[in-house]
Amino acid sequence: MEIREEGHPSKYSTYVLVWMGLVTLTALTYTIAVRIHPGGWAILVALAIAGTKSSLVLNFFMHLKSEKLLIFKVIIPLVMAVFLVFILLTFSDVAFRGVVK
Amino acid sequence: MVLMILRSLKIMDEAKAPLSEEVIDYTGAKLGMWLFILSEFVLFGGMFILYAVHRYKNPADFHHASKELDVILGTLNTIILLTSSLSIAVSITAIQKGENRLSMVLLMVTMALGLVFLVNKGFEWTTKIGHGIYPNSPTLLARPKGEILFFGLYYVMTGLHGLHVLVGICVLSVMLILIAKDRINQVHFVPLENAGLYWHLVDIIWIFLYPLFYLIT
Repeated sequence: MEIREEGHPSKYSTYVLVWMGLVTLTALTYTIAVRIHPGGWAILVALAIAGTKSSLVLNFFMHLKSEKLLIFKVIIPLVMAVFLVFILLTFSDVAFRGVVK
Repeated sequence: MVLMILRSLKIMDEAKAPLSEEVIDYTGAKLGMWLFILSEFVLFGGMFILYAVHRYKNPADFHHASKELDVILGTLNTIILLTSSLSIAVSITAIQKGENRLSMVLLMVTMALGLVFLVNKGFEWTTKIGHGIYPNSPTLLARPKGEILFFGLYYVMTGLHGLHVLVGICVLSVMLILIAKDRINQVHFVPLENAGLYWHLVDIIWIFLYPLFYLIT
């Protein structure tokens, strides 16, 4: 018995397009940071671009987009949720240090 | 990680066995790799939180310290790593299409790009160390607290990431040998696919390291 998915090789052209998108986003984040200086928004803009780039890598290079099983669909949101809890707990600790005596 | 690779090799051996009752669980092998990748995300995630807290408390020091890093070299390394992700992705498609030679050439390209990345990183570190900036150095300790923290995080996070690139190159070289021996081919390509997932993970981590260390304005 063999349990396996149908091989679904992506097209070479899809990968090249994704790569071009990634390089463009890198140029964009570089230009915004070095030339435009968005001030207080800098970190949010940079993280939004980094997030977009990693979702391109996850969906196309790592094939999450074409995975059919539910587990592959929920795996990343699940980890991000856990990570968010870590961030909230850590920052609530740091923010209230020294407040309660 | 090594266990994952070994597991996928075991699956390949099972595939060769004449018994038709053997179960070849490709999805299981891939899911195992994904679980490992998620644990890696959490490992680096912890350090990203540490970075966030220290930056939140020392914004000015982080800004000054970041200015000393070479933005051009950082950007170049980003492009190099993104390109290596493209070459490994195409390499996997090539093996699925039965174009083994193309797949091997692209694997070698990926490894070469990984090496160039490490060489650049080496130059960067050497320059910094040449200026007396390394963990616990007298020059660094004389600086404000936030800058000491910034460079500490810089060395630990880029260092651990560099280690991952090095491990990735080793894993890919094993894949190269396996293709040459026809143990990875059009039918059995899961180890290569898992190695590719690992390589992309390393790329994603760098996608976040790059703006956080080099692009603080």
